[in-house]
Amino acid sequence: MPPRIRIRPRALRVRITHPHHSLPQTHTYASLATATATTPAPPIHQNLRAVPPVLRYPPTQPPSHKPPEVRKTQLHRQYQSTLKSSPLILLFQHNNIKAQEWMGIRRELASALRKVDAERLQNGQDAYADDIKVQVIQTGIFASALRVVEFFKPEENILDHAQHPTDPRTPTSALVPQTTNKSDDERFTHGLSKRAYEAASNRKLKLELEPLFAGPLAIVAFPTVSPQHLKSALSTLAPSREFPAPRRKVNPNYHEPAVQAGLQKLMLLGARVEGRVFDQEGTRWVGGIDGGIDGLRAQLVHMLQGVGGSVTSVLEGTSRSIYFTVEGRRMDMEEKEKGDTKE
Amino acid sequence: MITRFLTNVSVKFNPFSPRSKSARLVLSLIPSTARASGLRVESKMLPRDSKEPASLGVKFKDGKEMNLELDKMRITEVVETVDRHSRQLARKEELSGN
Repeated sequence: MPPRIRIRPRALRVRITHPHHSLPQTHTYASLATATATTPAPPIHQNLRAVPPVLRYPPTQPPSHKPPEVRKTQLHRQYQSTLKSSPLILLFQHNNIKAQEWMGIRRELASALRKVDAERLQNGQDAYADDIKVQVIQTGIFASALRVVEFFKPEENILDHAQHPTDPRTPTSALVPQTTNKSDDERFTHGLSKRAYEAASNRKLKLELEPLFAGPLAIVAFPTVSPQHLKSALSTLAPSREFPAPRRKVNPNYHEPAVQAGLQKLMLLGARVEGRVFDQEGTRWVGGIDGGIDGLRAQLVHMLQGVGGSVTSVLEGTSRSIYFTVEGRRMDMEEKEKGDTKE
Repeated sequence: MITRFLTNVSVKFNPFSPRSKSARLVLSLIPSTARASGLRVESKMLPRDSKEPASLGVKFKDGKEMNLELDKMRITEVVETVDRHSRQLARKEELSGN
């Protein structure tokens, strides 16, 4: 195998003969000058049409600030997507719950939610039971992901730079703003970019949920704010007076010792509902909204109907009274006119 | 934390106060089998806007009761204070002959 580094004997000779010569060696040989000139010109089609832009990373995987292959980074990304996609998240503290107890709790939660879903399907509403699960989280990473979600607000048109090179609509003469795969580029707007990291590491910004992020935590994330599902989850995981646990006759599995021992160690801390933070009482209030969003709509419509009725009656009343006053005035004037003619 | 000599642990805290961290950590230090072997754990959660300090009440097997103000203590201090008496009880038990 030939040596990788090419030794240029001529350069060495020059260095030796002129050791104090600091200017770079310039070749004045005619033969060398012609050698550079004979570089073949680019083919004619390359001169006519620009080379299509090349994206140096898959459009769905922009480069990440932290090493993307470690578990931490992937958890961070996963928590960010959970936080962005679920408007209702319950936060629990779990104190040394055993695997068997977790199994029981998960089973009971799933069966309770499936009952709600069966009711909703009869009314023609969507079913969510399969998407609602208890998930034990890494507290610190979750806190950091929440900081990114709350404080990193990138501008719109995220995918401008990710135009596909082989897409015929991509103008080939246009400059692609971002084709390098360096994560510290300003134009990256994903949650793992360096800009997101810097926005989230600003310690002057405080999260409302910050004091809750200590100790072992678990979350239950809901894909929509559905008080029916929340109600059944609360009565299973954190029973109280408003949301009583299922009776032993109705659901004997719920009263198994493993499940009960697990539930003793599970504490509801609070909830994050559409970006707002609620404590236990607030969470129960959200769960206590009857009929969910449809119930609220019905209440609103009912209220507006009532308001509308009263408004029309009020308006009618004024018009009526105006009518009466005008009529009274007319009568009065007529009487006066009559009086004038009499006199 | 030595929980062998405890009979009763009652914790009261407001989860939204940054000072109640040690109260929650005390709960997480209780082993998973302790409740089954006779330790009674009561945790009371205060509403979010309450200013009441976090507190811990511990009862030992010899009848001693301890009331700690958790909002001024770190978790290591809490563990130290509770363990001090537990170790005495352990020594007594060992000396009484088993």
